[in-house]
Amino acid sequence: MAQCVQSVQEFIQDSFVPMVAVLCSEDADRVTRKNNLNFSELLRPFCRLTSEGHLRDPSNQIQVVKNLKICVSNIVTEPPQQVVTRRLLSEVVSASQPAESSVANVITAGDYDLNISATTPWFETYRETFLQSMPASDHEFLNHCLACMLVATSHENAPVEQFQKLSQEQHRIQHGSECTYPKWFIPNTLKYYVLLHDMGEGEEQRAESIYEDMKQRYGTQGCYLLKINSRTSVQSSNEQIPDPWSQYLHKSNFQNQEMYDENDATNYTLSSVLSLIDAPCKTCNDHPLRLDQTSAHMDGIDALRAPVSDGKKVPSASSTHGACLTLNDHDRIRQFIQEFTFRGLLPHIEKNIRQLNDQVLVISDSYRLLFPKNPWYPPEAPELQIRKMADLCFLVQHYDLAYSCYHTAKKDFLNDQAMLYAAGALEMAAVSAFLQPGAPRPYPAHYMDTAIQTYRDVCKNMVLAERCALLSAEILKSQAKYSEAATLLIKMTSEDSDLRSALLLEQAAHCFINTRSPMVRKFAFHMILAGHRFSKAGQKRHALRCYCQAMQVYRGKGWSLAEDHINFIIGRQSFTLRQPENAVSAFRHILLNDSKQAASQQGAFLREYLYVYKNVSQASAEASLPQLPLPCIQSSATRVFFGHDRRLAEGEKQAASHVSLDQEYDRELSQQWRELEEQVVAIVNRGVLPVTFQPTQYCLNSQTDNMRFPLAVVEEPIIVEVVFRNPLKVSLVLTDLSLLWKFALKEFTLPHGSEASEIDLITTEVISEFCMNPEETKVARLKLLPHQTGELHIRGVVYNLGAAPSPGDDGTKVEGIVFSDGMFVRGRQDLEIQGPRLNSTKEEKTSVRHGPDRRLDPIITPPMPLLEVMNQEKQILTVTNSTAC
Amino acid sequence: MMTMLGGEPFLLVSKQEQQNYPLYIRSVPSDSELKFHYTVHTSLDVVEEKVSAVGKVIVDQRELYLGLLYPTEDYKVYGYVTNSKVKFVIVVDSSNTSLRDNEIRSMFRKLHNSFTDVMCNPFYNPGDPIQSKVFDSMVSSMMVQTC
Repeated sequence: MAQCVQSVQEFIQDSFVPMVAVLCSEDADRVTRKNNLNFSELLRPFCRLTSEGHLRDPSNQIQVVKNLKICVSNIVTEPPQQVVTRRLLSEVVSASQPAESSVANVITAGDYDLNISATTPWFETYRETFLQSMPASDHEFLNHCLACMLVATSHENAPVEQFQKLSQEQHRIQHGSECTYPKWFIPNTLKYYVLLHDMGEGEEQRAESIYEDMKQRYGTQGCYLLKINSRTSVQSSNEQIPDPWSQYLHKSNFQNQEMYDENDATNYTLSSVLSLIDAPCKTCNDHPLRLDQTSAHMDGIDALRAPVSDGKKVPSASSTHGACLTLNDHDRIRQFIQEFTFRGLLPHIEKNIRQLNDQVLVISDSYRLLFPKNPWYPPEAPELQIRKMADLCFLVQHYDLAYSCYHTAKKDFLNDQAMLYAAGALEMAAVSAFLQPGAPRPYPAHYMDTAIQTYRDVCKNMVLAERCALLSAEILKSQAKYSEAATLLIKMTSEDSDLRSALLLEQAAHCFINTRSPMVRKFAFHMILAGHRFSKAGQKRHALRCYCQAMQVYRGKGWSLAEDHINFIIGRQSFTLRQPENAVSAFRHILLNDSKQAASQQGAFLREYLYVYKNVSQASAEASLPQLPLPCIQSSATRVFFGHDRRLAEGEKQAASHVSLDQEYDRELSQQWRELEEQVVAIVNRGVLPVTFQPTQYCLNSQTDNMRFPLAVVEEPIIVEVVFRNPLKVSLVLTDLSLLWKFALKEFTLPHGSEASEIDLITTEVISEFCMNPEETKVARLKLLPHQTGELHIRGVVYNLGAAPSPGDDGTKVEGIVFSDGMFVRGRQDLEIQGPRLNSTKEEKTSVRHGPDRRLDPIITPPMPLLEVMNQEKQILTVTNSTAC
Repeated sequence: MMTMLGGEPFLLVSKQEQQNYPLYIRSVPSDSELKFHYTVHTSLDVVEEKVSAVGKVIVDQRELYLGLLYPTEDYKVYGYVTNSKVKFVIVVDSSNTSLRDNEIRSMFRKLHNSFTDVMCNPFYNPGDPIQSKVFDSMVSSMMVQTC
């Protein structure tokens, strides 16, 4: 597993916290709404206690409670719906993406250097949200409500009566027959009366006097006067107050909104989510006290809902939490929570632990003999009382007592064959054993394994099994038992939830990389599995990230099938995420590598590549043509021929020349011609060869001397022969194939001021269609006809690349992308010829240096006389063709 | 029934230059080849784990056969490491009960002999993918046998 921000103890402690319900009067709701918050949201940032609490356990020992967190939430009378929870989870995961700047750590394992982000915040967010949205169950009490805050304001006509109404309402919800949710811990729930006083509205005197009255009625430890909203709107503009709510309420929904348009699969509209959330609200609208139905269990959705339900206030809504609160008010709320917990909640828990302890002691073995084999328990069953006591002890961090209670409960449940109850007790027994200070016993991992197995196979409850696995994996991780954690996580993957499987597989992959000798390949493989599940779950970004991380292991190791597969997926995912450049490079990689794929697969790759490429090139400017990877050009085999390409034998005539493109280069023959030419020149110059002499070369190839710029004559063609190789097992079609060139005019040839169009400079011949069979090597002869003098540079070739329609699969449809046969892209490939290796000086011999190759950079000279000689039946016929100056 | 083979060279000259790339892979039928590539690649982790474990416990153990690396749902993966740390991996169908430890062991031995012959070829460049007709036919005959 990846590293986490929280320590394992913090994580477990925060997973199980005392639940406190809230019931507000309408007026109280109105007062807190001024801050754009409801009452439970108002308290949320202050729910972690900074100071220590104390209570006495049944044996009168003082138990210290450190770093306690409580969870305050509005009463929701409907259990959370699975659909909503799933969407919420998927949302928080897709909203949490790795930061661009996040530091990736490099793990070196053998010959692998892997760049892996050490933390996985999306997993932690998922886990947190998942645990918070757990529905309360009958077999455990941990997330049942322990207390209820009843909130009214001092401005109401009769606050005391209001409190009574609220209290009755609470009683109705808990004990009435119509509401089965939320679940309550103990029959006589702690009621805590909170009088809200708006400093901006009413007089403080009245509030104080009501509070005095309340103290008389409910005792000093059962009520509280909370003064808020001290800030008037005038002051607000010039005071900067930190907004502690922002991180709790809308950490997710901003990024979300951006992501909606990109992420197709998660792109359900907000309204559809909201309609689901609102459904329970409508049914309870006639409720005498307006309860906020949504917020209690789904903090995230709450946040999502808030700005949207406000309609057009969306942008402002986010910035105005707690607008009427001063720092003083913040302190007051903090003080209130502390008072509530230490004076109200903890004594209540202490009292109940004592009571339960007495009951449990009273329960004799005879009772157990009287009622054996009872897989479902009534609420007052003694076995459940033990469990209840264990849960209370666990919540106040008394893990020793909790462990022994869980252990007893577990035995009872197992005796009765109550498997769900037994699994719950096993799970918590293992967790409390782990959390026991001083670790008197080793962590019983087998308890957890049994619990998971029972939850999953016997009770068919994947949610509980998942919670159990998450806890156990985190504990195993903290003990560096990575392979056990990985096994556990992998076991939890199943068909019913892609998102969960993906996240767990990713964590398993992290486990493998963290083992003492890192298992790189297992890491990579599980990353691929995770990526696959992520993409099935619609989390495209996460999928792409997983595949990219796995790619680091497979790249360049010769596992070409796997590499191609990953590249293909990366290409596709990048494309759907609108990162076409990455997509193109990934696809390019598949085609460039000496692919071992089957022909049909190659055809599919090629078509998809062309499709993506086409989209990219449409998006980018026309000016820069993309470089195409196919077909391969064997640039050193390029031949350049100057002048009209005559056939050697044309009818009865025979050209008196040794050069032709159809002829192989013959060193001896060309040496003979060269000597002949030298002799002629020498005779003309009275027996001396001029220093500037260079032999005429009509055809340049890899064996000729290409160090000098060749000369070409204006109005005489230049023919470039390019060798193409098709590496694929499918045919390719190149259309509109022509040469790309750059031309520098000789200044004096052009009158000042006049611009020459390309046509005036050089005529470029275009080959309209050039087909290549699978794995064929074929030459193309491309012609240029210069009309001006100057310096010509032939840069490369430009063409449309298309896949030849294969007979079997016309218009193949690959996952929604339709490829028509007319698919082609225009692009270029440069011709770059490396010159011969230099080997004359010592320096050149000891190092590797290459000389220039000027084959493709001819200088266009003014017209010259051309002498052609044809032999006809042993007679010599001379044709002089002078385009004389 | 599938058999698959992944070899890896280990340069004795310098241990740092250890690489893990396939020398030879063969599978029947070839339609799910990708899956086997992944399986074999992942199994290399287990091979390395086993090799390092052997080195610690008994130093001069000459046993090259590593036994069953791990069973997956459908396949069994067996491993073998030569003295020069070239790894052989055979993947067989789990349902094939005719192949027991001894058969697999002898298959590996045959492979090793054949591989040695390949290495003896003066024109073979250690580390290159194996392209040898004799080796091919030996592997094919072995795969046919076990089908």
